[in-house]
Amino acid sequence: MIKITNLEKIYRTEEVETVALNKLSIEVKGGEFVAVMGPSGCGKSTLLNILGLLDDPDAGSFVFNGIEVAKFNERKRADLRKHNIGFVFQSFNLIDELTVFENVELPLIYTGVKSADRKKRVEEVLDKVQIMHRRNHYPQQLSGGQQQRVAVARAVVNSPKLILADEPTGNLDSSNGNEVMQMLTDLNEQGTTIVMVTHSEHDARYSHRIIRMLDGQTVLENIMV
Amino acid sequence: MIKNYLSFAIKNFRKQKLFSLINILGLTIGITCCLMLFLFIQNEFSYDNFHKNGKNIYRVMRVGEMNGEKHEIPYVSAAYAPALLSDFPDVIQKVVRVVRDNDLISYNNTSYNEKNVVLADDNFFSVFSFPLIKGNPTTALKDPNSIVLTETTAKKYFGNDDPMGKILQFNKDQQLKITGISKDVPVNSHLQFDMVVPLEILRPMLPDWFTNFPNNTLFTYVQLKPDANPGQLEKRFPVFMDKYLGKYYAKTGAKMSLIIKPLNKIYFASDNFDNVKHGNRKMVYIFMSIAILILLIACINFINLATARATDRSKEVGLRKVLGAVKKQLLSQFILESVLFATLACILSVLLLQLLMPAYTGLLGYKLPAFWSNPWFYIFILGVIVIVGLLAGSYPAIFLSSFSPIESLKGKLKAGSNGAFFRKTLVVFQFSISVLLIISVVVMMNQMRYVKNFDLGFNKEQSMIVRFDNFDISRKKKQFKNELLTLPSVQNVSLMSGEPGGFHDRYSFEAESNPAEKYLLNTEFSDLDIVKTLGLKIIAGRDFSENFGTDTTQAVLINRTTAATLGYNTPEQAIGKWIRNITGDSLRRTIVGVVEDYHYTSLQTAIGPLVISPGKDNRLALIKLNPSKLKSTISDIKKVYAVVAPDYPFEYSFLDDRFDQLYRTESKQESVLSIFSVIAIFIACLGLFGLSSYTAIKRTKEVGVRKVLGSSVENIVLLLSKDLLKPVLLGACIAAPVGFYFMNKWLQGFAYRIEFRWWMFALAIFIALLIALLTVGVQAIKAAMANPVKSLRTE
Repeated sequence: MIKITNLEKIYRTEEVETVALNKLSIEVKGGEFVAVMGPSGCGKSTLLNILGLLDDPDAGSFVFNGIEVAKFNERKRADLRKHNIGFVFQSFNLIDELTVFENVELPLIYTGVKSADRKKRVEEVLDKVQIMHRRNHYPQQLSGGQQQRVAVARAVVNSPKLILADEPTGNLDSSNGNEVMQMLTDLNEQGTTIVMVTHSEHDARYSHRIIRMLDGQTVLENIMV
Repeated sequence: MIKNYLSFAIKNFRKQKLFSLINILGLTIGITCCLMLFLFIQNEFSYDNFHKNGKNIYRVMRVGEMNGEKHEIPYVSAAYAPALLSDFPDVIQKVVRVVRDNDLISYNNTSYNEKNVVLADDNFFSVFSFPLIKGNPTTALKDPNSIVLTETTAKKYFGNDDPMGKILQFNKDQQLKITGISKDVPVNSHLQFDMVVPLEILRPMLPDWFTNFPNNTLFTYVQLKPDANPGQLEKRFPVFMDKYLGKYYAKTGAKMSLIIKPLNKIYFASDNFDNVKHGNRKMVYIFMSIAILILLIACINFINLATARATDRSKEVGLRKVLGAVKKQLLSQFILESVLFATLACILSVLLLQLLMPAYTGLLGYKLPAFWSNPWFYIFILGVIVIVGLLAGSYPAIFLSSFSPIESLKGKLKAGSNGAFFRKTLVVFQFSISVLLIISVVVMMNQMRYVKNFDLGFNKEQSMIVRFDNFDISRKKKQFKNELLTLPSVQNVSLMSGEPGGFHDRYSFEAESNPAEKYLLNTEFSDLDIVKTLGLKIIAGRDFSENFGTDTTQAVLINRTTAATLGYNTPEQAIGKWIRNITGDSLRRTIVGVVEDYHYTSLQTAIGPLVISPGKDNRLALIKLNPSKLKSTISDIKKVYAVVAPDYPFEYSFLDDRFDQLYRTESKQESVLSIFSVIAIFIACLGLFGLSSYTAIKRTKEVGVRKVLGSSVENIVLLLSKDLLKPVLLGACIAAPVGFYFMNKWLQGFAYRIEFRWWMFALAIFIALLIALLTVGVQAIKAAMANPVKSLRTE
């Protein structure tokens, strides 16, 4: 599903040049659950941004579902993104002004789903993450665990092929964290590919494979058994 | 999708109450001003557009040339109409003559001195589209003894009774039968009347008046055939004028040409001395620019607050992008938000407009037609919503939707730094407009004060004007004067043709200094007491005097300018020389004295040559009063008037008021500009208030840290204010030269004007800075006084 080869990303300021990704090559197959680990500043987030089509690489190749997307312009990236990729963030990133229902509905609006259809699908997915009873609440009125469940619901409402999770349990206590990890595992079992950046060895154990990064390169790949 | 945007916009609105209120308030005030000015401007441009045949109707005008300048004169004599019709039957379809008149109208025992009577040919109602509610427009004026009243006038005489067929008395001796009731004349008609009487009613009294050519007292309108070419017609006029007036012009040395002026051009031809309603095109343009400037200031507030708050919304923008929004969708979301704001502001503006309409009517001095039924009003509002929505919304929309999703999600966008330069530029612009308006007001106020206190060269205080507007008083003017002089409170009385500031006829003269030359000079026909009554200064020769029995027929006074015009090096040289009014006098008159120049016209024009000639053409009495006991004096004069002209109401005015009236347009400009500059600076400060409170919030932590490190409250206030006051000052400095340019142009309209002084600009800049400082300072002090521990804890 994802094949990146010799990918490079360099951040430049006037004085400093920081190599975030240094000829990185990774392949993720459809249906895999991959964890990416490494110390701060090793390039994990940059990788995730590029995988999520939020950022473009300076060099190298990125094949997504058989299509070379490294040189896509913003419009094409946005189009590919909204149909194929869901995001889960450490800090949830829900829009404060919108209710739970409206937050989850948003991706469907941008993909042009009809109103009646939207309602059905949002309700389904809210039901699945067991937050249906809170559908008319605002994010501030929910606990962290509940907010992350909403965020997961929003990530999957479009039935994306790939979910990118950036430390999804980083702001949660362990029981809420486990719940979220279980949800991701369930999604994976239903066929969704998941790439998760994490600091937590515990969370990484949910994955099939751990990619360890240092200074913009992979240093080790563990296959979980 | 739109529903989603709308609900989001409303939530956003609620969350940011202060900023939303500032935006809405600013836009509402701005749009209200715009609507007011739109109604005014639309009305101005709609004059005389309601006539069905309007495109083919023209007013016949004579054009005279003096000192290389052309003067259009709308008055022609009654004889033109039949001559035009018979000489140009191929082009001219109808001709209608109109003369405005002042008549005593009575019914039963009630009389009114009607000042707004129109005497017209019987086709008046078929040429012009003043619809009749009752009566037949083609026949209503056929009988010379008929009369058509407007609805309101009919109510005045008959209440709810049917006026048709009733008889009104016309100037005491004639009976007129009411043959029609017309709708009230629309505000936007240059011709205004309360009643129309057939012109033919004058024929028995004035048979010559209808046939004499050089006797120019009425307006003549022609209706051309639909396919006629007005330019071609004008080319044939020189032959026409030569045919009827050639001999006369050869004799007098004057020469006039003839033109026709389209009906809808009459309203703005305010230089025509014709007593019909006129508008001032310059004022319309000033109003228009003010409307646009104020709306711009309000839009800038919107732009500035939206971009300043951009960082607050960056997370939202980032998320929407991550979730698949493309730039176009975000653009339309933000523009929709600003359109929503504009719509809300427009709705509030219409309500505000309704509330302010009475005050606006007072300011304008007349009532505009109701706007509820005006389709253009709604189209204009729609236009405002679209334009303001796009104007105010597009920059923030482009700005916000261009955020990179990664940076905005990480919170890497620095508070307020994005677009700060652009925002400051806009503040500069806002304040240059505000200061420009203040400068204009300061200069105008000074000029108007200068004009009002100017030494006019005559004494305008305690001088009462009584006009001879009816036959009785005209016939008995000598008796009136003599009786007035017996009153102890009356110092002097002079009968004259035009008071200072009023109309002065222009005649051609020949003079001893160069008998071959013909001079066009202004004239004043008075009795022998004018110098005493006006307090004029004789600089050479002597005043008129009864002691010289011949002064009435053989003497004139001239002013200093005339002496120079006639070629005399000193006023003394003119004494004893002869001068002759070519059309007015058969004999030469001797210049017996020269008076110092006095301002018999407004200060907008330089003093021109004037000949004061004893004559019978007196149109008013100027009464010089004793300053004490003014109240009883007026009632005494009223008693005298009642004896001389018992049927007419006693009406008077004062010379100083008359002079103030000359500057009515300028005074109105001044008051309108004052009001709108206050509004402009208010809206600009609203925006500044928003920006400063935003800065204060954003810099709370910085302020906390600085205070912990030992900064004083004053230092912090200065720190926070400095940033916003700089653009204000810059704007003020830009406005100064622009203001100089425009006000210099405005002052060119006065022959006598003030000098620019540096303090006028300094004052304007000071006012703007002071108001801005108060606005910004309040926020800064609030932020500086806050407990630093608190502000640090919240971070």
